[in-house]
Amino acid sequence: MMRVLSLPCREHAVLFSRQIDAPLSGGESFGLRVHVLYCGGCRRFRDHLLHLQLLGRTLAKDVQHEPGLPAEVRERLNARVAQASKKN
Amino acid sequence: MMIDADAPSRSGRDAAAAPVPLRTTDSNEAAARRWVAEHGDILWKFALARTRSKEAAEEIVQETVLAAMQGYGTFAGGSSERTWLLGIAAHKIADHFRRVRRAKSPKTLAISPDATCVCAACRGMFTAKGMWACVASRWPGMNLSETEKAEQTEALRACIDALPPGQSEAVWLRDILGIPASEVCKAMGLTDTNLWSRMHRARVALRSCLETRFGLRKEKVE
Repeated sequence: MMRVLSLPCREHAVLFSRQIDAPLSGGESFGLRVHVLYCGGCRRFRDHLLHLQLLGRTLAKDVQHEPGLPAEVRERLNARVAQASKKN
Repeated sequence: MMIDADAPSRSGRDAAAAPVPLRTTDSNEAAARRWVAEHGDILWKFALARTRSKEAAEEIVQETVLAAMQGYGTFAGGSSERTWLLGIAAHKIADHFRRVRRAKSPKTLAISPDATCVCAACRGMFTAKGMWACVASRWPGMNLSETEKAEQTEALRACIDALPPGQSEAVWLRDILGIPASEVCKAMGLTDTNLWSRMHRARVALRSCLETRFGLRKEKVE
């Protein structure tokens, strides 16, 4: 536990990013919560990651509303699939 | 983190996460036709978002489907078919950009993680003791007008484009299309640790790139 509390900011930054992808251990999670109480740089980094996530969600919504596979491309793809299938 | 772009009958990340049982009765051709019908839209959107060229996107989707036909027998079913196909597309897209960048060499679009750091003694973001060398400015809040939000989103797209091949695709799969980390690992052939490290480097670079685009500068820690 003491090791987690004494980690430098570099390691905390890695943990902030990792917790987006995987759950942290109880000790790591506790260490992060304590660290941001007194570290402005890490609080700022955490806020920026949150901002990035929000922007990513907005971008995801934009992509969702973009048109899908055009009909003519779909036709060409299916034709190419049939051609490849005959070869094999 | 984000959402699945066009699951036909399922919603959100579950669509990407739910393993689809192997349909072993499908011939390769029938399977490929089904992929085009069920996953063609997401493959197209992914390829078009990355390349911003309809010709290149079509080529990538085609290469993806043909490669998937060849590898169908070896698809283990550990991830959903959609994620498997997106993983193949990610490799094709990364190859596309490697070719494009080689052709344009030596000009590269690399982002420096400390691009906006104005501290002369800083090497990267941290001091030798691992403390922040520079503290980034506060970013504009997310209570933005639609125009501002569109500008920031476009800036994010441009910054993702500027990441090295392999990192951009991981960010699209993980942070934009919202595919679970474990599935991205399978699709891209990465270990958990590889993915975490790749995502961390990418997010740090994106943060720096956006700061530059927002016109913000870091300040030296006194």
